[in-house]
Amino acid sequence: MSGQLSADIVVIGSGIVGSLAARRLALRGASVLILEAGPRLDRGRVVAAFRNSPFKGSWMAPYPPSPWAPHPIYVPRDNGYLKQAGPYPYPAEYIRAVGGTTWHWAAQAWRLVPNDVRIKSLYGVGVDWPLSYEELDPWYQEAEELIGVAGADDTGSPRKQPFPMEPVAEPWSMRRFRERLAPAYPVVANTVARNSRSYGGRPACVGNNSCQPICPVNAQYTGETAVAAAEASGVRLVPNAVVYRIEHDAKGRIAAVHYFDPDKGSHRVTGKTFILAANGIESPKLLLLSASDKYPNGLANSSGMVGRNLMDHPSTSLTFYADEELWLGRGPQSPSSINTLRDGAFRSRHAPYRLDFTNISQVLNVTNDLIKEGVYGAEFEKQLRWRAARQVNVKNVLEVLPDPDNRITLSSEKDAMGIPKPEAHYSIGEYTRRGADVSRADFARIAELMGGTGLRYSADGQFANNQHITGTMSMGNAPSSSVVDAFGRTHDHENLFICSTGVMPTAATMNSTLTAIALALRTAGHILPQQTTTQTDLADDRREARLS
Amino acid sequence: MKGAAGRLIPLFALVCALACTCASTAMATDGSNAERVQRGKYLATAGDCVACHTAPGGKPFAGGLPLPTPIGDIIATNITPSKTAGIGNYTERQFSDALRRGIRADGRHLYPAMPYTAYAQITDADMQALYAYFMHGVAPVDSKPAPTRLPFPFNLRWSMAAWNMLFLDSKPFTPDPGKSAAWNRGAYLVRGLAHCSTCHTPRNLLMAEQPSRELAGGDVGTWHAPNITPDADSGIGNWSEAELVAYIKLGHATGRAQAAGPMAEAVDNSLQYLTAADLQAIATYLKTIPAQHDPADTRAVDDWGSASDELDSLRGVALPVDPDKMTGAQLYDAYCASCHQARGQGSFDGGLPPLFHNTATGRTNTNNLVMVILDGIRWTDRSGVHMPGFANHLDDRQIATLAAYLIRHYGNPAAKVSVEQVRQLRAGGAPSHLVALVRWAMAIVLLVILAIVILSVRRMRRRSSGQA
Repeated sequence: MSGQLSADIVVIGSGIVGSLAARRLALRGASVLILEAGPRLDRGRVVAAFRNSPFKGSWMAPYPPSPWAPHPIYVPRDNGYLKQAGPYPYPAEYIRAVGGTTWHWAAQAWRLVPNDVRIKSLYGVGVDWPLSYEELDPWYQEAEELIGVAGADDTGSPRKQPFPMEPVAEPWSMRRFRERLAPAYPVVANTVARNSRSYGGRPACVGNNSCQPICPVNAQYTGETAVAAAEASGVRLVPNAVVYRIEHDAKGRIAAVHYFDPDKGSHRVTGKTFILAANGIESPKLLLLSASDKYPNGLANSSGMVGRNLMDHPSTSLTFYADEELWLGRGPQSPSSINTLRDGAFRSRHAPYRLDFTNISQVLNVTNDLIKEGVYGAEFEKQLRWRAARQVNVKNVLEVLPDPDNRITLSSEKDAMGIPKPEAHYSIGEYTRRGADVSRADFARIAELMGGTGLRYSADGQFANNQHITGTMSMGNAPSSSVVDAFGRTHDHENLFICSTGVMPTAATMNSTLTAIALALRTAGHILPQQTTTQTDLADDRREARLS
Repeated sequence: MKGAAGRLIPLFALVCALACTCASTAMATDGSNAERVQRGKYLATAGDCVACHTAPGGKPFAGGLPLPTPIGDIIATNITPSKTAGIGNYTERQFSDALRRGIRADGRHLYPAMPYTAYAQITDADMQALYAYFMHGVAPVDSKPAPTRLPFPFNLRWSMAAWNMLFLDSKPFTPDPGKSAAWNRGAYLVRGLAHCSTCHTPRNLLMAEQPSRELAGGDVGTWHAPNITPDADSGIGNWSEAELVAYIKLGHATGRAQAAGPMAEAVDNSLQYLTAADLQAIATYLKTIPAQHDPADTRAVDDWGSASDELDSLRGVALPVDPDKMTGAQLYDAYCASCHQARGQGSFDGGLPPLFHNTATGRTNTNNLVMVILDGIRWTDRSGVHMPGFANHLDDRQIATLAAYLIRHYGNPAAKVSVEQVRQLRAGGAPSHLVALVRWAMAIVLLVILAIVILSVRRMRRRSSGQA
């Protein structure tokens, strides 16, 4: 690779968010270059790696990190890439590869609820967003049509246009939850970037039930598809390009970025506009790494907020045996949830939450439990059959409030390329813990309605991580307390934008990907505002979707 | 006066009578017209006119789809009732001539990409219904697709007159009184509107169907339209009529075959809409036509293979870095096994089909196996992609390796897939030598004529010099 790469727009990171922003800009006629730290992956080889893996419960197992662009791995043991400063662990999982982390997501593509962006004004907690839900609506719609979202209308997120697709077929287990929990709890289909019919040239979900390691048939939208769409629109992509420094000029404009190839040869890439889209941990890491005499605390960091306000959606859960055979494991892994607790006056006191039912096959979990219990032989088979048919799990998805002390910093440890590793400082606040306490009553009621026995609550004070990395480069109107403005432009550098879940100033209760895509499309629309509407593109996409 | 009046009255009466008759005919046709248009629509669906005469994403019947043939692309025309771009000015006679004789309104010949050799079977009554539908049931579209431009000598449309003399039987269908009504209906549909033979009957050097090998299997572009005669090994002899009906209606019969490529299109656009009686009639007829046996088929094409795997060679073994070094078992595990299952057995309900007892793997002509790996199975209706294609994921060698694995475990082991075959099919098929052949033939004929002319001129000169 020559050291003289250049483009109108240079995007750092080829995940679903960066790629879709890049695609939109390329369609507007800009020359766009994406630099991706990780290698290209092939779906079939990922599928084979999953099928061959002895760690079927580890969704990262099919994605071994590359030496030059490591990412966190915890099974069979922590590879020590994401350092944990505590007091509470933040064991984020993400993939550094072409296409990014959505290679293996649950494809949850939720909108916020309108009040999520005004919790300071309404409930006196957290912060308000610098834009309204109504301003986001058209960008949500564009995102949903691009990635093909299927959903139900009664989830609390209003919309002006219909979903591109009707909900994915309801698995039997979810139907029984819906029937037995009504009217106490309405169970509705999740809003997902998963095909309920052929869409965008990709087939409908056939229920392989391996969404989070890998969808073998590409029925759910992934960064791989986003990259292909970007490249088809003229975007150039350089894989294995580990950006380690963003360079500014005397006026504070970004002049270039520098990356290492796997052999640690250094390359400089110039451009007119730069977009940082390397996820909520690697992006702030890069801003901090790029500190200079003029910006000793790192780029875009005059507020001191880069890396701070780290959030996620912690979960506690209840596992129990229903009084009928439900056989989790047919259909997608996460098909349905309860959405009536996402908003309300209670938000001034405790975290709101969504209640989510797993549909992951219980055979592996039950097998592990039985072996641990020392059950063997004929009794093993009998127990396995009985428990795998009946074991179910409901978890909460809790809001976390922004707290500047929860943050990503640079570790003193370095990776194989000599680049400092990221370090997480994290704790779970009282607001979230109170929400978890309140949800226990819902867990108990749900178990009761399902005739539950063998109730096992997750251990007190133990929260599972949901990999929804938010807050580390928050958007806001005030340059003193936020990193980017409402359009994703850094307050400090006129030609540096950020497209990431990291710009979300609060986490709400919903998986963050769709909101990040909508914000990124809005950013792209702001960078090249001419022909502001994308009606032609959308018409093309719709036609493609119809034809395919 | 009287005489004149006397003459006038009958004339007046006649005019009145005529007027009344016309009015009542008009009323009658209004009533029966709607019915006729509706029947024409059904017939047009059975004839699958839309398949060729609609471009992807284009308006129905507005043409524009390039039909690849060995002599170049033939562009389907606009057959909407547009008076400027379509067939809006066609009389019923002209319409009938186009369908049954291959002659356009301007007197020029159609290429036999238009299946007029089959449509020649259509009865007059059905022709009227089709005309009514195309004039009154189809929305006119005023855009003209690009004209067809074939290389010399095929750009000379009159050459088709000679071809028609050789190969067109323009007699409409006459029922066989010795056979059942269902059989006759089936024969009419199969030979006529449904034009099965257009794809399923092999063609001779001049691209005409070979009547002696009716429905013995032909090639349509990169796909193979298989033998659908009742031969027990090569055809559908071991299928029940119910299985045939299911296949034609749904595009698959579990444990037998599934439609892909152009056949999926035919089911999608046309066959699935046929009435139960018509589907049954087609099955009835197909079971009675002369069986055509291919000696290469030593067992029924849907009777090969069984559930098996090579898992022992996979588990605990790292994938080779070079994708071309992946084994068939590794490729199967990576790209196929999630749906078709580890042992090729498919899903419990057949929704994801087993790969053994499946004509896709059991046929010695392996083009369809390669094509379905390359392109997958996609329908144009909402059900869309039934199987994703792997053209962008697997290279030629990987597909050849994978196909060999599929054949070894689940198909006829005598079948072969070569890397070159995959390369050619990926590129759109083997190049045709027809244009070159015909040009050579013409050159030779021309040389012979030239030689004769020269010889006779010389003789004449000799004779005239002799006279001098």
